[in-house]
Order: sequence, then C-alpha cells, then structure tokens
Amino acid sequence: MKQIKIQQQNFVLHSSGAIYWIEKATLMLADPHLGKIAHFRKNGIAVPRKAEGVFYNKVARIVDQFEIKRFLFLGDLFHSYQNNEWYMFRSWVKNQKAKIILVEGNHDVIPAYKFEKIGITVVKELIEEYFCFSHFPSKKEGYFTFCGHVHPGIKLKGSGLQKLKMPCFFNSTYQMILPAFGAFTGLHILIPKKEDKIYVTTGKEVIEIGEN
Amino acid sequence: MTTVQKWFKNKKWIPQDFQKKCWKAYSEGKSGMLHAPTGSGKTFALWGGILNEARLRKKHPAGIQAIWITPLRALAVEIQQATQSITDDLNTDLKISLRTGDTSQSERAKQKRKPSFGLVTTPESLHVLISAKDHQKSFNHLNVIVVDEWHELLGTKRGVQIELAIAYLRALLPNLKVWGISATLGNKNLSREILLGSIKNYIIINAKIKKKIKVKSILPKNMESFPWRGHLGIHLLPQVLRLIRKNKTTLIFTNTRAQCEIWFYQILDSDPKLAGEIAMHHGSIDKKIRLWVEDALRNEKLKVVVCTSSLDLGVDFSPVENCIQIGSPKGVGRFIQRAGRSGHNPKAGSTIHFLPTHAIELIESVALQRGIEQQQIEDRIPFLNSYDVLLQFLMTLAVGCGFYPQKLFPIIQNTFCFQTLNKERWKWIINFLVKGSQSLEHYDEYKKVTILENGLLKVLNKGIVMRHRLSMGTIISDSSLKIRYQKGGYLGSIEEWFVTKLKKGDVFTFSGRNLELIRLHNMEVIVRKSKSKKTRIPSWIGGRMSFSANLSELLKKVLYEKDSYNTPEFKALAPVFFQQQLESIIPKSNQFLIERFQTKEGFHTVFYPFEGYAIHEAMASLMAYRISLLLPITFSMSFNDYGFELLSDKPFLKEAFLDNNLLTKDHLNEDLEKSINISEMARRRFRDIAVISGLVFQGFPNKPIKTKHLQSGSQLFYDVFKDYEPKNLLYQQALEETFDHGMEHGRMNRVFEKISIQKIEWKQCSQPTPFSFPLITDRIRSKISSESVEDRIKKMYLQLEKLGK
Repeated sequence: MKQIKIQQQNFVLHSSGAIYWIEKATLMLADPHLGKIAHFRKNGIAVPRKAEGVFYNKVARIVDQFEIKRFLFLGDLFHSYQNNEWYMFRSWVKNQKAKIILVEGNHDVIPAYKFEKIGITVVKELIEEYFCFSHFPSKKEGYFTFCGHVHPGIKLKGSGLQKLKMPCFFNSTYQMILPAFGAFTGLHILIPKKEDKIYVTTGKEVIEIGEN
Repeated sequence: MTTVQKWFKNKKWIPQDFQKKCWKAYSEGKSGMLHAPTGSGKTFALWGGILNEARLRKKHPAGIQAIWITPLRALAVEIQQATQSITDDLNTDLKISLRTGDTSQSERAKQKRKPSFGLVTTPESLHVLISAKDHQKSFNHLNVIVVDEWHELLGTKRGVQIELAIAYLRALLPNLKVWGISATLGNKNLSREILLGSIKNYIIINAKIKKKIKVKSILPKNMESFPWRGHLGIHLLPQVLRLIRKNKTTLIFTNTRAQCEIWFYQILDSDPKLAGEIAMHHGSIDKKIRLWVEDALRNEKLKVVVCTSSLDLGVDFSPVENCIQIGSPKGVGRFIQRAGRSGHNPKAGSTIHFLPTHAIELIESVALQRGIEQQQIEDRIPFLNSYDVLLQFLMTLAVGCGFYPQKLFPIIQNTFCFQTLNKERWKWIINFLVKGSQSLEHYDEYKKVTILENGLLKVLNKGIVMRHRLSMGTIISDSSLKIRYQKGGYLGSIEEWFVTKLKKGDVFTFSGRNLELIRLHNMEVIVRKSKSKKTRIPSWIGGRMSFSANLSELLKKVLYEKDSYNTPEFKALAPVFFQQQLESIIPKSNQFLIERFQTKEGFHTVFYPFEGYAIHEAMASLMAYRISLLLPITFSMSFNDYGFELLSDKPFLKEAFLDNNLLTKDHLNEDLEKSINISEMARRRFRDIAVISGLVFQGFPNKPIKTKHLQSGSQLFYDVFKDYEPKNLLYQQALEETFDHGMEHGRMNRVFEKISIQKIEWKQCSQPTPFSFPLITDRIRSKISSESVEDRIKKMYLQLEKLGK
C-alpha cells in the first residue's frame, strides 16, 4: 500500500489495484470485467471457471482493511451482456452496506435500469470537489481525473538485461489511470514521460518506480 | 506397354528406374513412399501409376478418385497444371481440379456438384472437405491419397493434420492407397510409418540421383575487420554483387523475412541498375506477387531473387545458375535442397555460395561441406500428442456430420501422433468439448459440442459452427493483418504485433517498398507509398531453427580435427582463433569450456557444449534453475547453436558451481521440468496451441462476424490456465513441447553423459571472447529467477518516452 496526496486529499493505492479515498471513505475500482469468463464459456471457449470468483475474494480482502462507505466503479463493471455472473454479483450487492456508484464504461452494455433496480446508481461521469471520475482518460481544465479503460502496464528494465511488464497506477499531472481490477483482462503497455509517476502493483505490494 | 510408358516413348523420354518401380508397385495395389529430390520427375512417377490404373477402367463414377496434397498453395497450382497436361495429352477427359484457400466460392460449389477425377489440395483444405456434412459421399470413390513433399510436413503440426485425415479416411475406405513423396531424410522408416500407419502392403522406393554439390564460402578479403557477430552479412555485399553480375540468374536464400527485406534493399541501393531485374519472395508477400516472381524467374526475366524458405520447394526454375545462402541453413538436408535449386538439370552439378554472417559461421560452412560429402541428412522429428490439432479436428467433424466418441477413439489411437492416447485423456478431451471442464458445475453456461440422444457429438450453435469454419486450418497461426494500398491492391500480410508498434504516419519497409501507415481498418493495414528514408523493417516471429544432432556432431568433429585447419575457411579464421586463445581456449574433444567475464551489462557466464540451439535452450534453463537454488538470483539467457549464456546482475561463484556438481546428469528430467515451469518458456509455445485449439479467435478481414467481447490474447489464457487449471492438457502440451520438440528422445541424457567425462575448463576473461560475442549481443532472451518479483522490481527503472517523439 502507498499513501499519496492529490489536491490536499489523501488516497491509498492498494496492491490489488484499487484506490481508497480516505476523506470520503470511498473505494475506487476500474475495469473488473465481471462475467467475462462466463461470456467466453457461453461461446464455446473453455476458460477455467475457477478464475471467476477472484473479484469477490479480492474485494473481501480490501473490505477487511478499510471502512468503506461508498464503492465507486470506474466503468467496465461487466464485460458483456447479462449472464449468470449477474446473480453472483447481485447477491454480493445485497450484502454490502456501502453505497455503490457505477461510472459507465464502453463494455457496460447491461441497461442502467437493471443496476438501479438492485440499488446501484449509474452515471456517465462524476464530479466531486476538484476531482472528475470517469471511465475514459480525459483532461478537464481545473479538475484531476480518476479513470480506467486503459488497463495500464509498464515495461521495466534492470541491470543484467532484465525486463518485466507489470500492471500499474499511471499518474500524470492531471490524472490517475487505475490498473484493471478484473482477472483475465490483460495489459496495455504505456510509455511514461518524465513528469509521470508510476506505481507498480504486484498483488502484494505497491512500488513506486524511478527512472534510470 | 502401359499408357504412360507409351506417352514417355512418344516424347522420346526414357523413364528412370524409380519411375518404373512406382508404376509397377502402383499397379499391384501397393501403398508406398518415394524418396526423390525436387525436379527429378517424381510427379510423373506417381501420377503415371494413377493414370495407368484409370485407363483400365472404362467408366468413371462421379466422385473424386485421387487426392494429391502439397504443403504450399503455389505448388498446388503448379501440380494441377502439370497433371492436367499429362491427362490431356493422353486424350482422357479426366479433369484435375484445384482446391485451396484461394479457391472461389463458385468454384467450390461447382466441384461439389460435379466432382473431378483428381483433386490437388493442401492439408487445411482437405480438412475443410471433411467438415462438410456429406463428406462420406464425396469420398466414396477415392482410391488414393498422395502426400507430396512429405518431409516438409513431417515434423510440423500440419503433418499431424495429415495423419488425422488419413486415419479417418482409411477407416471409411479400408482399401485406400496412401503414397508419400519425400526428399531424402535421415529417418526414412519412421517417416513411412507415420504416413502409412498400419498399412502392410507397401514399398519404399529410392531415386538414386546423386547430384554433385559444390560449396564455396564467401570469404572477406580482410579477416581482421570481419565482425564477430551479426546476422545480416551485409559487409560481404561487394562479393555478392560480383556474383550476381557474373551469372545469368541468382537466387539468394535468407533465413528470415526481415533479412530478406534488408538484403533486397541493400542490393538495389548499391546497384540501382538492377531495378526491374531484382525481386523478392517470402511467405508474407501477396500470392499474386509471388506467382509473378515465380513466372518471371522461369521466363528468365529476373537476374536476382532474394527469398526465404518460401522458394525451397517444388517449383522448377531451370534458369537459376547460382545460389547464395546467407547465414547458416541449420541443416545438411536444407542446404542440399537449396543448392539443388541451381543447375536444375538432374545431371548437372550445383554450386552454392555460403555467406557467413559472422566469423564463427565459417566453421559451420566446413561442417556443412563434410555433411554433404557424407550425405548425412538429418531426421525430421514428428510431433507427439498435439492435443490442439486433435481438438481442432474433432470440432471439424462436429460441425459436419458429427462423431461417435467410442467409434472414433481407436481411429485416433491408430495415428502415430496419438499412439499413447489413453482412455482417460480421451475422456478429458471429450469433456473439454462438451462441458468445458471435467465436472459439471452449477450456473455454468458453457456451450460448444452437444451430445445428441443417439450419442452423436455435434455442434448445434450456428455462431460456433461459423467461428470454427473460419478459423479452421489456422496452423500457421500468427495473427496477421493484410496490407493494402489506399487505392486498392494487396501487398501481403504482416504480423499484428509489429503493426501495433506503429503510429499513423510511420514508415516501414515491406516487399521492398517504403510504405506509410494511414490507418488500421477491419484487420487491414491501409498504406500509401512513401519517399521517406527513415523506415522500419518489420520482423516476423519465425521459429528459430536449431542445428540437427547431425550438424552439431559434424561441427564438433570439424572443430576437433587437425585437418580442418587446412581449409580456406579455417585459414581465414586464424586471427579470430588467435584472439580466442589469448584468454580462453578452443575446446578439444575432452574439454568443456565455460567463460566468465564482466561488462557494464552484468556478469556473463558462457557455456560451449556445441549441441545445437534446442539442446542449449533446455540446458541454459536447467543450469540457471540449478544455480538459482543456491542463491536468490535472476538470469537472462541467450542461446545459439554453439553455446548459451547466463547473464546476471550479480555473480555466482565458480567454486559454488563446481563444488555442487551442477553439471550432473542426476535428476535431469526432474530438474528440467521444474525449470520449464519457472522459466515460462512454455508461454511462447502456447501461442500456437491457443490458436489451433480454438481458444483464440482472431476474426477475419471482409467477414463481418460478431465476435464482440470474444477477443483475447493467448498470453491471458496461458496465465489463467497456469493459475487455475494447470492440469489442462493444452497447458501441459505447452510445457511438453517446450523442450521435447526438436529434440530426439534421450539426446539430453547423452549430452550430459558426454560432459561427465570431459574436463571442465572455467576461464576467467577480462573481456568478451570472439566465441562469446554472438551470444552476448543476442537480444532475444528468456529469463529464470529465484528472487521475488518485489525484490526484482525494486532494482529496476523506467524506460521514459524519448524526447522529440
């Protein structure tokens, strides 16, 4: 875990890829892609089902560590059209006391009213304090953006010709891109500029990377 | 006298012995294997037999009677024309048609309505025929299957496709004859066994045509400046230009498509007069352009063609006078084949020029010459237990007329590839298709193959049928995109991973042209010509080839024997040998050389077993694994045919290495297996497996089919199987293929036995030696680590975006 300050507010970057906003007791997650495995299986591609429960286990671990008053999903909560995963998710929602907000992503093709029926608020974008929460990366004058969509990853180099690709929080001057929270989602490798800050997540630790 | 003999007589041709033998054996109803080089008249040998038999029949039933399989589409066109022309000459009205991936929908429909006597096709297209619902009817009159250029297919997964198709057809038609035509191989018996299976009534015929092959190494004038590394060989361009000018037509063989592009560009750049007389030929170039090049070659319109293995096969180019091989051909067999492209008259000798891309390759040239003298042709090693190909084949049957698992099981077991397939694994495969797992679970919506009431396995879902039909036969698997001019006209295809590195406006070289990327659209790369000189050359992920066991034996002999030092190659190498011996040695047969030195990259430890790439890849990973048990350490490894390198950011001690006896042959297999698991080398193998088995669906140009949300890379599948279902047979197959394929069984054991009687020479050097140079400069690397990811990351840094981009 790593605590950082943005616009005088405190955020914890969690090794799972989530961000906890301390002042608002809010947990942000991007790109869980729920139901992706079920969607593949439904179409004859046999991805192991065991990979399906990962989301719930990961979230349970975070819930144990923080007091959460609000979940904020930064888009692509579900991967595709409704399948059986929905029922698992629904029962998870029932057990949560915290408020749940979904910022719509491009994969969120399940109609909003279905989410609203189970008590989830769906928005295109959320503005709070000096922050903008959206699915897609964006530069908004006067605001700092938290977003997902990209599934950011980074290429690392080391002595002895070592190389490694890892998921990361990609922090530029005006926005923070969260890594994909879901399993079976993949990485998109970004090349940082000098002013960008990179926090790699290993699942166990969050490590800030310096330049050479 | 038979029909074909008469035809020969009319043409004033004298049949060769092997041709007569083939005709006779065929008339006796035998199956068989013919070993004959390209251009020797092998097509007449087999086709003659087929036609003789056909002429005895008064009436011909409506149905295909002979299927001729070739590995290349271009070759299929050629064979179809050749066979049709004999058939016409004999005044039969028998038709030979062509069925490949390029055959149009309307032509396919016509063939179905009115099947011809003969069909020339490829392994993939044969599977497409089997996927038809009524395929049993269309094969009713089939007498014979001929597999041409079997040596090219054997040892590939397309060879497994053939095995499956033949086993299946033989179960339908017990009297089906099977013939193979192959260039000379080391393992002739095995090659026959794989293709013919349990057929008892067979014959092996060898064409005794021994061509004289002369090998000449292209030596640099000044060895002092000859590079110790590199894979291009451009420094010898002046000598190549001289050879081009001296001969009417020259073929230049390169090992990779990138090398091919670069040589083409360099030749044209330094001798612009060749424009119009120079062409390029490789597998990614559009078919139309390739055909044009082949025709132009035959019609003597070209002076030089730069090519890859795409011109290794079939297609006869009589005017070629001269061949140049750039870099190592990796095997005696391949070298002979390529040399055979020149001087195509069977009795004329061939000359091939060997162009070394770095100094050490000159040793290889001498080894190749020995190999040719002694006709030491290597084996082709077949695939075993290719579950990916089996799954694809089962789907092919399931989208067609369906199959009964109990009935099919013994047929599959009858193939060489699946001879050890047991009931348990068969059940696993069927479960994988039907349930997508090994146990039925709640809420699972998996859908692929359905078991009907009568026990027949069939695909009912239209989307799944469609996706399978589109991806069938994708054994050559890389996700590739077509390149098209904005104004129209295809240039060829390029691998997706290269394109994703390009931005709009970037310029790259393809097919000898500089092209600017305009945009990506529907699996197509839209480009326009560019005059920009700043260009990138795509590299294609081709498999790296390894020395055969043969060539590595030859190489060692050459290195150990005094005689070699009298060859022009070794004489030229003298300054390099001198440099090598300053701080290290040239190992003798009783020595095992290890070199250690430090550079700014870290600590290099270089081993020299001289056993070929495949063995070294496995050995490197094994050594790295064993060392990593002694201390937390991360290795980056490189390998070539001479040795391998372990590079680390901290050293391990010579004493620790020797005292712990890390070169022992004890626990060899166990340690190897563990090293594969942690090295993740299987990841690369899994790419193909994921595509062939249908996990990764790539979508197709011009075929608007809904694949929304179904795209995913093979890497993701690899991870998810590794973490959640390591017993999955496809994942297991990747592990097995990593080191098993390309390596004869037991070879690793023999290597370690040899090492156990050698003296280990550990040389501490102050700088890299000439032998080590190609290894330490290789950027294609694998890694093994016993450090935690966190510890490794903490020592690493970012690659920042370069300024000015």
